[in-house]
Amino acid sequence: MSTVAAFTMETYRLGLRTIRRFVRVPANWISIVFFPLIQLLVFSQLYKDIVQLPAFGKQISYLAYLAPGQIAFTALMAVAWSGYGMLVEYRTGYLDKLRSYPIGRWSILAGEMVPLFFQSAVMAGIVLIVSLLLGATLVTGVGGFLLILVLSGAFGIAFAGTSFIPALLTKSEQATSTISLLLFPLVFMSTAFVPEALMPGWMQAVNAYNPVTFIIEAIRALMVTGYDWSAIGKAVLSMAALGAVLQGVTFWAFGRLAR
Amino acid sequence: MAPANMPAIETAGLVKVYKGGVRALDGITFQMSPGELFGLLGPNGAGKTTAIRILATLLVMTEGSARVAGLDVSSKPREVRERLGLAMQTPSLDAFSTGRETLELAGRLHRMPSASIKRRADELLELMGLASVAKKLTGTYSGGMKRRLDLASALMHCPEVLILDEPTEGLDPQSRVALWDELERISRTGTTMLLTTHYMEEADRLCTRLAIIDNGQIVVEGRPDELKRSIGADTVVLQLAPDQRAAATQRLGDGNGGRSDGDGPTGAIERGPSADGQVVEVRRLLEGIVAADAVAAHPGGVTLSVPNAGTAVPDLLRRLESDGLRVSGLQMRQPSLDDVFLKYTGRRIREEAADQPILLGW
Repeated sequence: MSTVAAFTMETYRLGLRTIRRFVRVPANWISIVFFPLIQLLVFSQLYKDIVQLPAFGKQISYLAYLAPGQIAFTALMAVAWSGYGMLVEYRTGYLDKLRSYPIGRWSILAGEMVPLFFQSAVMAGIVLIVSLLLGATLVTGVGGFLLILVLSGAFGIAFAGTSFIPALLTKSEQATSTISLLLFPLVFMSTAFVPEALMPGWMQAVNAYNPVTFIIEAIRALMVTGYDWSAIGKAVLSMAALGAVLQGVTFWAFGRLAR
Repeated sequence: MAPANMPAIETAGLVKVYKGGVRALDGITFQMSPGELFGLLGPNGAGKTTAIRILATLLVMTEGSARVAGLDVSSKPREVRERLGLAMQTPSLDAFSTGRETLELAGRLHRMPSASIKRRADELLELMGLASVAKKLTGTYSGGMKRRLDLASALMHCPEVLILDEPTEGLDPQSRVALWDELERISRTGTTMLLTTHYMEEADRLCTRLAIIDNGQIVVEGRPDELKRSIGADTVVLQLAPDQRAAATQRLGDGNGGRSDGDGPTGAIERGPSADGQVVEVRRLLEGIVAADAVAAHPGGVTLSVPNAGTAVPDLLRRLESDGLRVSGLQMRQPSLDDVFLKYTGRRIREEAADQPILLGW
């Protein structure tokens, strides 16, 4: 079997298992969509009138403004749980069993990452559908819908390292969830809740480099204005750069299990 | 496939020093022939699990070399994994897969053809008594069922070498005996098996050869009966009838300066009323059969060390009888591996729960 075919087969088999592990525990996906949906429902009512500020431009409602941020946030929630799953399997010894099989080290990680792509995409899709039902717009139609799912999935892969790296290095549930929590300010300081124009100067400066803002703006463009390739391109490039670094470190941390 | 005359497992000067300086293995060298059932026996923390993890390519060694099925674990880990079945100390299963899914995944990852995966999974589920729960999630299994499924998944691809770390740890006595039967059956099929255990009884019953490992070193190695014989002696325990004890004491009084029972505080009570007397009497009778220092008193009788109880006892009984000493009870005991462990390490093995992997968090 060629290396590529072997990698594909192994990733497929391991990925199926990861997906089983995910869907067989309803708490998994409920906990991922619960928080973003609550924010969507509560904040859209609480700050309903904020959308009248000029900085919001031609937004039809605050809910429509909030939706892209909560879609991206959902992908981050999926990421937050992913390293946790591997940690549980490290503890039960199942990870060791996988490492004792004649399969590639990359396949074991890909068997976690590929399902994470689909989890992030599907969970984000649920929040997107709820948003649309509540009155948000999607001007790009089905094409835009699919593109948002792909971007959300890729966003999950790009950030996966923030959960897997602490899980593999500290082997502590507490450390892993704490580091996931540290990502939340990145969301709060992004354009998820208010446009950049309403932020203090220093926060605007941070936002020039905030990858969460890049993905939110790409999704927002697809929902409100259309295929804005510069916004989409910016999101894709930032995710590629971040993903390459974090995935590389994750692989290194995985290799340390044999020390 | 390793040539037939090549050792199935071979280690040379295996050393593992963990980060932080813990020297878990301090130069382990041993060889296993194909088809052998070899045991690493030792207390918790002796280094057994570390050795297993190195052989299973899960851990890199600090020094030395190791070959499994003729293949170097450092330079050919993948080839080693193809030939290896592994079951760790705690059954390592995915709680959210069913029994059948667990076996099928093992088969897939070992690149078995679909048809044989199904056949082999059916066969193993039946064999391990898991057919009725094959479609249930492993998270719902009892401890014994998890063990059996874990073992089945290690056997899926008919490995050349089976490595088992504390295979019966945490099982109730009944399940343990059932698993022993199963391991013996697997061994008879010609599978080479390496197992670790801290249960003397397990090592004694299962292993064709074993190495006692302590503080990261092999202290002694051999067949269980060989090791026990190296202790040098069987034990014979004689119970003497009460009136005979008095008689023995009487005679002692005649010939031993009138030393009477219980006049010294030391040991008088636990040895029984006529202990010293019996020892002397029996010693006299056994001159030429048993060395004098191999006789000790115990409450109600004497304990002898003899090289071979089977041949010594008939002669012994004849002599005692001809002298009018009536024996009311007789026990013969061969040395246990516990005695072997004690001899070579100066300690007794403590049969406590096996050590868990060190899980250090922040």
